[in-house]
Amino acid sequence: MNAADPIIQIQNINKYFGSFKALDDVSLDVTVGEKVVVLGPSGSGKSTLLRAINKLETISSGSIIVDGHDLYDPAEDINRIRMELGMVFQSFNLFRHKTVLENLTLAPIKLKKMSKEEADQLALRLLDKVGIRDRAEHYPLQLSGGQQQRVAIARALAMEPKIMLFDEPTSALDPEMIGEVLEVMVTLAHEGMTMVVVTHEMGFAREVADQVVFMDEGAIVEMAAPDIFFDNPKYDRTKLFLEQIL
Amino acid sequence: MSDLEKKIDIGDGAAIPDPKDRGLFSAWWIALIGTISLLVFLPMFKPDPYGKVLLFIPDGILITFEVTILSISLALVIGLVTGLGRISTNRFFNLTASLYVEVVRGIPLLVQLFYIYFALGRFVLVPDLVAAVIAMSFCYGAYMGEVFRAGIKSIDFGQTEASLSLGFNQRQTMTYVILPQAWRTILPPVGNEFIALLKDTSLVSILAVSDILRRGREYASESFNYFETYTMIALVYLLITLILSKLISNMEHRLSYYERR
Amino acid sequence: MLKKALLTLVALSVLCGSAWAETKIVFAVDATWPPMEFVNSQKEIVGFAIDFLKAAGKEAGFTPVFKNTSWDGIFAGLASGKYDAISSSVSITEARKKAMDFSAPYFTVQQALIVNKDSSVRSLADLKGKKVGGQIGTTGYFAIKAAEGLTPKSYDEIGLAMEDLNVGRISAVVCDDPVAANYALIKYKDTLKIAAVIKTGEVENYGFAVKKGNSKVLDLLNKGIAAVKAKGIDLELKKKWIGQ
Repeated sequence: MNAADPIIQIQNINKYFGSFKALDDVSLDVTVGEKVVVLGPSGSGKSTLLRAINKLETISSGSIIVDGHDLYDPAEDINRIRMELGMVFQSFNLFRHKTVLENLTLAPIKLKKMSKEEADQLALRLLDKVGIRDRAEHYPLQLSGGQQQRVAIARALAMEPKIMLFDEPTSALDPEMIGEVLEVMVTLAHEGMTMVVVTHEMGFAREVADQVVFMDEGAIVEMAAPDIFFDNPKYDRTKLFLEQIL
Repeated sequence: MSDLEKKIDIGDGAAIPDPKDRGLFSAWWIALIGTISLLVFLPMFKPDPYGKVLLFIPDGILITFEVTILSISLALVIGLVTGLGRISTNRFFNLTASLYVEVVRGIPLLVQLFYIYFALGRFVLVPDLVAAVIAMSFCYGAYMGEVFRAGIKSIDFGQTEASLSLGFNQRQTMTYVILPQAWRTILPPVGNEFIALLKDTSLVSILAVSDILRRGREYASESFNYFETYTMIALVYLLITLILSKLISNMEHRLSYYERR
Repeated sequence: MLKKALLTLVALSVLCGSAWAETKIVFAVDATWPPMEFVNSQKEIVGFAIDFLKAAGKEAGFTPVFKNTSWDGIFAGLASGKYDAISSSVSITEARKKAMDFSAPYFTVQQALIVNKDSSVRSLADLKGKKVGGQIGTTGYFAIKAAEGLTPKSYDEIGLAMEDLNVGRISAVVCDDPVAANYALIKYKDTLKIAAVIKTGEVENYGFAVKKGNSKVLDLLNKGIAAVKAKGIDLELKKKWIGQ
């Protein structure tokens, strides 16, 4: 693989839920270190696209290659590929029966055979980074939504992934908590992480994105750098969407 | 509490005292104190036959416990496998588990007991206690399977997705993430099944297994003190289930640690 | 037409009722005790005791009605008045006499020890440490409990004990000799045998049991029993049911 090759290569993928077409001939490349923000009205297929990247959603046709591994090659181990892909969910999905610290250390210990001490150190470092080290021994349900989402980001980072996928990470949060989560994401972006983010946060897209992708009815309508996208969109559908949201 | 959780909370065992439910809680205390006093005072004031009954049945109590503990342990294992089978995407595994549940639920426990003891006795000779345990756990394994299935399904699918996204496979997800949480949901119905099973072990007295009830019947058949004998038998069963239901409620409280804020 | 027939039937039954204005006596029967009382292939309760009571009823002027009742609890039902009497091969014992009244004896039994055909057991003493079965609350079971060193096992029905003996879960069964003969010589004639008759020193007799103090029924029964014996009907019945 060439260094300049995209780390995520999505080619002509289609996805049907019954007769409903959720993804319509979508192609997208993401290069190392690139931040791609996916926008679109609800039901536009943006979450389906994101979830297809780590195969939480299987596609009907097309191909997805992540870091040189074809997701649909039977010889590939999807669990290994997923270790390279950190994912953050809208509803946090922290393991409710584990403490914050255990949420972070479970996967490194079980999957990377990391010693408990090593995993704990790594976890505490990450908790420091997302600013909730003092809550290490709490259970998820004892935390606020914003705190839980920051833990969820730290949990994904604990596997030291090459790519981070964010599925509407702030949509389930009270407005006053959105900032703290975005802040962590911005830091991460500045550190050079490859990120694909599905969100409604236009400010974040404008500040962080290298590419903004606009989806509607399962297809990519427009793809551009944020300044062009927001200030000079090419298509009417994009304009309409931006008018409604801004 | 989710809808599902509420639904599977209803069992056919004794009512498990919920510390938050004052009504039931005090009912539990009244029942306990009443039972103990009757068990103490009746033999004191009328040693013959009340005291004699009590002296006649201790080995029966042991047998009842033995059958209950062995059966519930086996039923839990069968139930776990069955529950996993019922949610499995593997058609063969799923069908086998579903068939087992369907068949067992359609046959009365008493008939199963007779069947395993007498009918199968023609082909394989198992000791009476083993036959009783096999029959009880075979039957309750199916019920447990449904409890496990409901318990596993009650865990938010997001937990599974989060686990898979970290790189865990299906089996690891089940072991590390889903089952430890499902336990919490499953415990009340499992507790109910446990108590129901203990009560149902009285059916094994039909297999000439010398449990509490059989000992009582033997005593009554010799002394003709039916009223006194069955009064004591009922009290002994009641005392055991009261204590058990309390233990289960305590355990449940301990297991819900992560839901306390 | 149908209506008319029905009316006739009702009228007839009323007439019959008054014509047979004699006492009905309801007997509880645990019909699992062949050949004394059991359910035949036509689902009727039949047996020596059944025929005996029908004959006695004819002599003393009562109609016996039989109610199939499980053995375990048959005495409790008598005490609570669910039926007038028990006809279920009840041996007259001192303990039972305290709880109920008995008619005159109608049959003499001994306790028989049944074992597998290839067994070398000849008496209860040979069965030390072994499981021996009998029906709960019967004199046979009491004999097992009274013997030293064996593990008594009580069954709800004697047939279940026989089946357990047949498959080998227990080593022997003790029960009344006519029943033992029925099982060992007919039902399980290829696998079981009667090893011995247990000598208890006392004569064991069957009697019909009534609730304590129910002399009205008791008198009728005794009258019938005496008449049946006087006419030698009991010997005929023995020949018919037991074959001796």
